[in-house]
Amino acid sequence: MTTTEPSLSAGGTETSGYRRRAAQAIGGWLPTWDLITTKNLEIRKRRGLIITVVVLVVAPTVLIYGLRLLFHAVDPQSYGLAGSPGIFSQLTNLMAEFGFIAAAALGAAAGTTDLSDGMFRHLVITGRSRLALYLARIPAGLAITIPIVALAFLMNCLVTSYESPPPPTSVSVYGLTVPGHLDQAELQTWLLQRPQQVASNGGPIIGPPPSNAAQIRSSIDKNISSIYADYSSDEISGSSPADNEMAKIGLWLELEVGIGYLVGLGLGSLTGQRTTATIMLIALEIIVTPLLARVQIPYFIDGQRLVVGIAMDQLRPAALQASALAGGPGQLLFGGHGALGIPAMPTWAMISVIVGWVIGWSAIGAWRMLTRDA
Amino acid sequence: MNIIDAPAIAHIAPGPARWAAVAVGPLRGGGFHLGGILLPLLVIGGVAYGVTRLRRGRRAAPHDDQWIRPEPPPPPPSPPSSPPEPSGETAVVPAVAPALGTRTATSLERPAGGWAVETRALTKRFGANVAVDGVELRVPRGSAFGYLGPNGAGKTTLIRTLLGLTRADGGTMSLLGLPVPAERKRALASVGAIVDEPRFHPHLTGRDNLRLLAAARGGDAGSRIDPSLERVGLTQRAGDKVASYSMGMRQRLGVASCLLGDPKLLILDEPMNGLDPAGMHAMRAMITSLATEGRTVMLSSHLLDEVQRTCDAVAIVDHGRIIRQGPIDELIRGAGAMVVHVDCSEPARAAQLIEQAGIAQGTEVSEAGLANAGLTITLPAAASRELVADINRRLVGAGISVYGLQEIQTSLEDWFLSVTSRLGEAS
Repeated sequence: MTTTEPSLSAGGTETSGYRRRAAQAIGGWLPTWDLITTKNLEIRKRRGLIITVVVLVVAPTVLIYGLRLLFHAVDPQSYGLAGSPGIFSQLTNLMAEFGFIAAAALGAAAGTTDLSDGMFRHLVITGRSRLALYLARIPAGLAITIPIVALAFLMNCLVTSYESPPPPTSVSVYGLTVPGHLDQAELQTWLLQRPQQVASNGGPIIGPPPSNAAQIRSSIDKNISSIYADYSSDEISGSSPADNEMAKIGLWLELEVGIGYLVGLGLGSLTGQRTTATIMLIALEIIVTPLLARVQIPYFIDGQRLVVGIAMDQLRPAALQASALAGGPGQLLFGGHGALGIPAMPTWAMISVIVGWVIGWSAIGAWRMLTRDA
Repeated sequence: MNIIDAPAIAHIAPGPARWAAVAVGPLRGGGFHLGGILLPLLVIGGVAYGVTRLRRGRRAAPHDDQWIRPEPPPPPPSPPSSPPEPSGETAVVPAVAPALGTRTATSLERPAGGWAVETRALTKRFGANVAVDGVELRVPRGSAFGYLGPNGAGKTTLIRTLLGLTRADGGTMSLLGLPVPAERKRALASVGAIVDEPRFHPHLTGRDNLRLLAAARGGDAGSRIDPSLERVGLTQRAGDKVASYSMGMRQRLGVASCLLGDPKLLILDEPMNGLDPAGMHAMRAMITSLATEGRTVMLSSHLLDEVQRTCDAVAIVDHGRIIRQGPIDELIRGAGAMVVHVDCSEPARAAQLIEQAGIAQGTEVSEAGLANAGLTITLPAAASRELVADINRRLVGAGISVYGLQEIQTSLEDWFLSVTSRLGEAS
């Protein structure tokens, strides 16, 4: 008996050879460019989800600055310039909060829709490495979240840079009006030249009130480091961040959003349920993390530090943190949790926590993808 | 802050309290301690490891990379002159059937090109339920092969196991001569399959769904999107979202997705499900044409008539076990019998006469219903046509008027019901 091998090709050529085609189909664990772009297409075409992400990330910036620009244009006497360091800080914090949530929702969707739509088994049957299928979701989703956040942040930066009042020439420290742009030595000199003014304002004197100028000068000399720190902080909070500071803040923001996406992807892949994963991450971001960042639980401080939001707060760029602090303690919701209520952790620990979350959740998601019945 | 002195407690407290004090010591507020991070990580890791071990133990799957329990290597394939021996209830029928139409013959002797699908003692369990029970399946290359069984017989589970969508618990299997799971990826490069209902991303167009699958396949699959769509008659609707597709269109899109890999083997699970008569006709024609091209088509179905119309050979599965397999006409002939309907004037007397005469061993006589007055006689499969003539002579000789004698072709359905346990359930 003879069997006939299939000779029909729907468009390809049989001369390519079985082995070559097989090898191409197998691929390795690295996703191909086509795999990434088509996955990106699949996420992008989810109109409702993308609109939600845009509304959460971009809409607050557009709305707030749009109204402020409009009011200022209509009545410049009553309404000041649209931008200000405070608005910049608040919008950036809002972007970080909502960006994390939006990215987590997008990640959860990317991690579950193949399964829920019944495409997962089609994809597995192609013979493509499951790991490659999982890894393709990472750049595919980040290629959506990162530009959206970048767009919103760029608007924030432009308005702050071009529509903000000029930086103040003086800084108010402990009730004293001090000239701006002083270094530590200059500040010390300036304070030492005005001991009575310092004393009468109840200034930066620690301990019992000094009775004479010599004691005041001695106190200033002793506490100049902490005085200068407060001075710098106040100076930064009153000025728009410099370009390099804005770049740092932007990178920090993208990292926050990227973590949200990766954790959402991993958790979504693990649970296989988009809604569950999204709700869990919203709760983490707006309830658990702010609480743990603010309240020091006895004997559990290192456990608190394992929360990625707390590590990210510590990584928050100085310019943004100072702005947040100047605005008072962060709100429980929406105001960011920038005012850490617990002692800072070492840098290596902070980086370990962040890297651990990124790698850990990616590994968990990939493991579930590899072992899941299709 | 009220801080407990953990080392002090550890020093004075006995047993668990001492260990607990040592454990929480690094978690005290203030400084940062490596133990504070490591301890929770170790606990979480330990729990995760334990859960994984438990699940593995239940599934009896020893390693992530292994989709089936390690078995000794399969014995070398039998030469054409000695087909595999039946094992248990599995009956392997020797080849005698000629090719159907222009297609390749579907003998269950090992064909020259080997088997498109071959399993040995393949087993898949879900807890205590054995969904696939030591299945010995042979699908000849180039055939249209029906995998037939009632609902819940384990058809889809077998297909999912073959394709690596779920792990097997025992046995060996190969696709296109390549052992799986060892060579699964290579094998799947030349396999197209629809498992269960064909579902796609509803928010994407048919073409975009195929793009996604072509990207996963790699190679020149992308260039086959348009020909595949044309082949299944979906070119006009390729730009519409799948959400707007009918079931028949989704089935056709499923076939198109199979064709992206220019497959040598197509595995179609219940492709007629949900189709109207026209859709079934179109799907049948498509399957037939794919088989005619020399592709192996393995068709799982519970629709007996469709399998009989479409396939050359069939395996009957029931309760996870294959109970028969072979060319359809061969199986029907071998398993059934010659059934003769006698249209006569006195059916009751005729029945009595034939029973008393003992014309042939195993002969059964029954009166037909009123709507079809007469007598139905079931003769052994080996009965000759001369025996039918003998019956006629005896009836006429006894004064019974015989108006007609008709040999009734046993259908696959009759045979299926006779060999599966579902006959009792159905009745």
